[in-house]
Amino acid sequence: MAASKTGTGLLPRSQMPLKTLMIAMTIMCYLASLSIGALVLINQAVDKWSSDIAGEITIQIRQLDGKDIEERVSKAKTLLDQVKGVTKVEVLDKTAGAKLLEPWLGKSNIISELPIPRLLAVTINRASPPDFGLLEKQLQQAVKGASLDTHRRWQAELTRMGTSLKWLGYSVLMLIVLSAIALVIYASRSALEANRHTVEVLHFVGATDPYIARQVQWQFLLAGLKSGIAGMAMGVLTFLILGLSTATAASSGFVEASYSLLLGAPEVNYISYMLFFLIPLVATLICLIAARLAIMRILQNAI
Amino acid sequence: MNENKTVVRLENVGLRYGRGHEVLKDINLQLDAGSFQFLTGPSGAGKTSLLRLLFLSLKPTRGLINMFGQDVASIPPAKMPFIRRRIGVVFQDFRLLDHLTTFQNIALPLRVAGQKEKQYRSDVMDLVSWVGLKDHANAYPPVLSGGEKQRAAIARAVITQPDLLLADEPTGNVDPDLALRLLRLFAELNKLGTTVVIATHDTNLIRNSDYNVMELANGELEYGC
Repeated sequence: MAASKTGTGLLPRSQMPLKTLMIAMTIMCYLASLSIGALVLINQAVDKWSSDIAGEITIQIRQLDGKDIEERVSKAKTLLDQVKGVTKVEVLDKTAGAKLLEPWLGKSNIISELPIPRLLAVTINRASPPDFGLLEKQLQQAVKGASLDTHRRWQAELTRMGTSLKWLGYSVLMLIVLSAIALVIYASRSALEANRHTVEVLHFVGATDPYIARQVQWQFLLAGLKSGIAGMAMGVLTFLILGLSTATAASSGFVEASYSLLLGAPEVNYISYMLFFLIPLVATLICLIAARLAIMRILQNAI
Repeated sequence: MNENKTVVRLENVGLRYGRGHEVLKDINLQLDAGSFQFLTGPSGAGKTSLLRLLFLSLKPTRGLINMFGQDVASIPPAKMPFIRRRIGVVFQDFRLLDHLTTFQNIALPLRVAGQKEKQYRSDVMDLVSWVGLKDHANAYPPVLSGGEKQRAAIARAVITQPDLLLADEPTGNVDPDLALRLLRLFAELNKLGTTVVIATHDTNLIRNSDYNVMELANGELEYGC
């Protein structure tokens, strides 16, 4: 009986540059998953640092000639305990201030001879914090040499750094998407060039441009989907390996963050997994749309 | 002139490739529905170029081409495939697709027109048998002989019973008996209303029929014989 393989693609798959496209797209998707993972980690870290800093303020009481510092510390603690919005006041002992200077001065006796200020770590209620301006005024009136540090400067710098890193991540993602589009357009051109004879025959027998484009675009769609899944899997695997690997002192922060990205708090995981699953979807759409537009443009310019 | 009965009309058509000399000069041609024409002339006279103009593979450098009552220059590109579906073409170099079987190659115009295999299978198989390729229906073009490829190419061109059939040396690779048989196929199609133009060097084929002959010489068209 006669052949009935009408399911055979009209443009032979063997003459499509799909292998090269898939390798390049897989690498793009892997890089995209690393960028997305890094973005989630940065967001997570900045949020955590910001909330830690925002939940605590420091009171510093300087040494003053002829004034008993212990008495002033105790006065400050009493005052702070009565302030609404303050949940805990911890008086740091003398050595705590000295320890902060050790990186610069080393463990020497000089430290004990220096007029190192005393510190009070104050935990505040984030939901209803005290009025810091009023608190500072009250402290300065009641306790000589007292000053308040709300860590806002650090918080602002941290936020600025986090925002810069986030934009860097988005820029990298954008570059990956643009490169992927350029890659698909180039591959579409190559596919049509490699099948020029077939395309000509299809034109002569009355095939419309959208019909010819469909013959190519579905193969590109599949290539995009497979590359997206492969790239995403490689990315997830990378973060899993990092998250599950034994932490060293130097890498523990990043390892912990990698662990929490995929295996940590559920609310973070849902977002992370959702973003990772977007990669094959976006890769497929890029392949489908870019290939279709490129092919239609080339065919329309042909006679 | 009745436009409805004129399939093709060329007025003062000229064609040149790039900056070269004109390969076709002031071609005036009218093909009425149901006519049968031979196009002959020496090699390099422009027969293939004229056929390429007729199957809309080239645009003329000057002049007007009217196909099926429409000025080709004003047909939007998106409508062009629907004009091409009314034209069957037999190429000198066959232009079969090597990755499709003989059956699939012959069925190609029906397939791109959106028909399903069950709709066209028996018609295609009838034609495959008629051109003597029944045993090769599953074969791929690279294993077919020149004559078999020629027959497959002809079958592909006529499967849709086009309004206009253009054939470039359709009997160039077949023996005289088969050439006459193929001519009968063209004649049958012509009787059904298809306008036929056959470009050929085969003087025997021309002599054995009483159809009109157009001769191209130095890019100019003469009617005669």
